[in-house]
Amino acid sequence: MRQKIILILFFIGMSTAYAQNSIQEQLDSIKVEISTLKKTENSHFKLRGFAQFGLDASSDNASFNMTSFNPILLWRLGNKFLFESEIEMEYMDNQYNLSLGYANASYLVANGITIKVGKILVPFGVFGEKLHPSWVNKLSDAPLGLGHDNGMLPMADIGVEIRGGMQLGLSKLSYSVYAVNGPRIKDGTTSQTEAGMLSYENFNDNNKNKAIGSRIGFLPFSNSCMEIGFSAYYAKPGAVNSPFANDTLNMDMNYKDVKAILSAIDFSFVKTITPISGLIDIKSQYNNSNVSDATYLNPDTSGMIKAARYTFKNNSNAFYLQVAYRPTLINNNILKNIEFVGRYSNYNTPLGSLWYSQQSQLSYGINYWFSWRTVLKLGYQTTSGAPASMSMNTTNNMNMATSTINMFQIYLATGL
Amino acid sequence: MKNKKNRIEYTIIIILFAYFLQNCTTAKVTIAKKTGTQLWSENCIRCHNIPTPVDFSDHQWQTIVLHMQVRANLTAIEAEKIVDFMKTSN
Repeated sequence: MRQKIILILFFIGMSTAYAQNSIQEQLDSIKVEISTLKKTENSHFKLRGFAQFGLDASSDNASFNMTSFNPILLWRLGNKFLFESEIEMEYMDNQYNLSLGYANASYLVANGITIKVGKILVPFGVFGEKLHPSWVNKLSDAPLGLGHDNGMLPMADIGVEIRGGMQLGLSKLSYSVYAVNGPRIKDGTTSQTEAGMLSYENFNDNNKNKAIGSRIGFLPFSNSCMEIGFSAYYAKPGAVNSPFANDTLNMDMNYKDVKAILSAIDFSFVKTITPISGLIDIKSQYNNSNVSDATYLNPDTSGMIKAARYTFKNNSNAFYLQVAYRPTLINNNILKNIEFVGRYSNYNTPLGSLWYSQQSQLSYGINYWFSWRTVLKLGYQTTSGAPASMSMNTTNNMNMATSTINMFQIYLATGL
Repeated sequence: MKNKKNRIEYTIIIILFAYFLQNCTTAKVTIAKKTGTQLWSENCIRCHNIPTPVDFSDHQWQTIVLHMQVRANLTAIEAEKIVDFMKTSN
């Protein structure tokens, strides 16, 4: 009897252990299935972006600014397709602006070849495409001539782009070629004082041709610490028909043969240097815009220009050099998060135009990084020269009125 | 006097430039031989601070690195190694 009971208990124990093992095995296989399902998830949606808020203070004004809140939507399908878009929300100069920064789809055709279509960030130089987000830009505003509001360069446009990167021995090469709607020349019919200026907000093209451009970036060293880039851009910004077609006196004027050639050279050096216990970051870009000669109507013959029609050499240029240092190798948690930055920039628009300006700017900043994507920026900026609005009111270009504006800035910027 | 000053300035610039070049050429390794950690630290810092892997999940990193592969013209090997590194470090 006793033996029978032991035998029964033995079988019960065995069957329980077997059942437990079986359940455990099933659980393990379910876990593996779930993890496999997670790993093979084919599409993914991600919300990113950046924001910046702060204060500008000069001798006669102090103003809080919400300079940007730009959500970026990313949608990945597999490993080759990406949709990206940026919504730009800005509140500046008492105005709220909402616009589509970019929205495009990229397809990775092969290693080193990506096709992008839609509204793209134009890869002209590097600032507009890669360094403009407020948590990436080490100062709270863009260098002169490279901003959204007063810029001389294409920032975003609708079109198609082919781009990629490849290794050349120990060096690297990155390239991009693109065709976009291109700029529109301001003929003076809507804003007479801006005649001859290029407008890149030209999402419905005014002619049949497309602007074409390219940027080649060369990274000579195997650790990619240095990059030199060359950009070129060609466009015919005039409409086919004369804007003065209904004006018998001026119907001979048109801009269909006007050509715009832009070029830029950019430089980047980023490297941790042990003897100075920190990271050096140098960025620079020189841009030149050359629009062929054209004749414009003068709105006010009693002002700076006396003739009813006038022309000028339509050349603009902008330059900036920025140097930043962060003592990342110092063994102190507060000091290693502090960054010192200095930037010189200048911007010259055509002499003889009604929007002639000649400005230079020196900016100094001390940043404190709370994390890799959140920074408090303290800055001081001196802008000197003559902005376009001042030079227009003078009667002689050679004695152009100049001014100096000093500005203190404190901004908090974060990447989302 | 002015020429002498210019010469000194150019000499300083050339010395600094040569020093930077010397710093750039210390490691001579092709992408194929580099680790994900190395590529992560070399490429991200070209534009912004190096991101912390723990800030995003595996799927998020896959999407973010694809975004950066297109934006920064990374090669397929670079992107693959960086994603693998992020996934194993988060």
